[in-house]
Amino acid sequence: MSHDNSSPDFLQHHFHDVDQQYETAKLGMWAFILTEVLTFGGLFVAYVVYRSWYPEMFVGANLLLDVNKGLLNTIVLITSSLTMVLAVWAIQQKKQKLSLFMLIATFLFAFMFLGIKYLEYSHKFEVGQLPGEYYSYMGPEIAHLNNPHIFFSIYFIMTGLHGLHVAIGMGLIAWLIYATAKGNLHSKYYTPMEMIGIFWHLVDLIWIYLFPLFYLI
Amino acid sequence: MSEHHITPLKTYLVIAGALFCLTAVTVWVSYFDFGSFNIIIAMGVATFKATLVALFFMHLLWDDKKNLTMFIMSLMFLGIFITVTLLDTGFRGGVNPEVEYPINKRAAFYDSLPLTDTHGNPVDEHGIDSHEGDEDHH
Repeated sequence: MSHDNSSPDFLQHHFHDVDQQYETAKLGMWAFILTEVLTFGGLFVAYVVYRSWYPEMFVGANLLLDVNKGLLNTIVLITSSLTMVLAVWAIQQKKQKLSLFMLIATFLFAFMFLGIKYLEYSHKFEVGQLPGEYYSYMGPEIAHLNNPHIFFSIYFIMTGLHGLHVAIGMGLIAWLIYATAKGNLHSKYYTPMEMIGIFWHLVDLIWIYLFPLFYLI
Repeated sequence: MSEHHITPLKTYLVIAGALFCLTAVTVWVSYFDFGSFNIIIAMGVATFKATLVALFFMHLLWDDKKNLTMFIMSLMFLGIFITVTLLDTGFRGGVNPEVEYPINKRAAFYDSLPLTDTHGNPVDEHGIDSHEGDEDHH
């Protein structure tokens, strides 16, 4: 409680004090995370149901994905989560420059993630490993399997929605870079950075599940 | 805002290190075949990693516990969602074998798909040395 500084300019008039404003923002963010978990949850249910219906097909089809690219993307995303959390840590300690540097690093890692994803997607478009009726790949390792287009439907929708979250996260981080550089965020008020950080870690958390589900098992 | 918990830098670095190690473990383990335990091991490691991210990177360990409650509630509802759906889809054939048939049926469009090589180019089923697939678009 900081009664000495009861009405700083970042305190919205409808909040009692900065602590209440902060806790409210955080609770709202977690309500949003809950809806995100359930959004992806529906797709995880689709994965579980179809995997239980076509166990051999899933095991055969996931061999067509490039484990190295998936692993590289996992490392890139965990690193970006670390730089994000360090950006918040730095601004808490009044290290504006370090915070800015960490945000830019997070942005670049996000860009790298999408770049690797683009390479994976373009290869799949080339060989016809596509969702639903666009599927045309009948290579020797998969021609005997039943309905591999279902695997690729789920793969593209789940990684696609995840990729969309990465792209949205990049936009939010770009705004954080701008706000930090301008000095609007500082050690007394960094709520947006922490909230976008929570969003960014959720993106990482979902990929932690997507990577083994699609690439490894 | 003066009372916020500031996590020591070392904690973040140790957690990130643990996440990298667990990623290596889950990839390494995937080269061995434990049968039906493959999924359990992979999901166990993923859940441990996710717990580290949620508790330390998302600060749930130090937060007001209402945030943790909300997050766990979302996972509980996801659990209900999965369980109830599987109770339906997992036992369709048991009640009526005819209902299982459309699930295992191959989609009709596969009948018109030619066999391809590993680059997605159609192969001639009569002569494997045929290069006709090369004129395919690139």
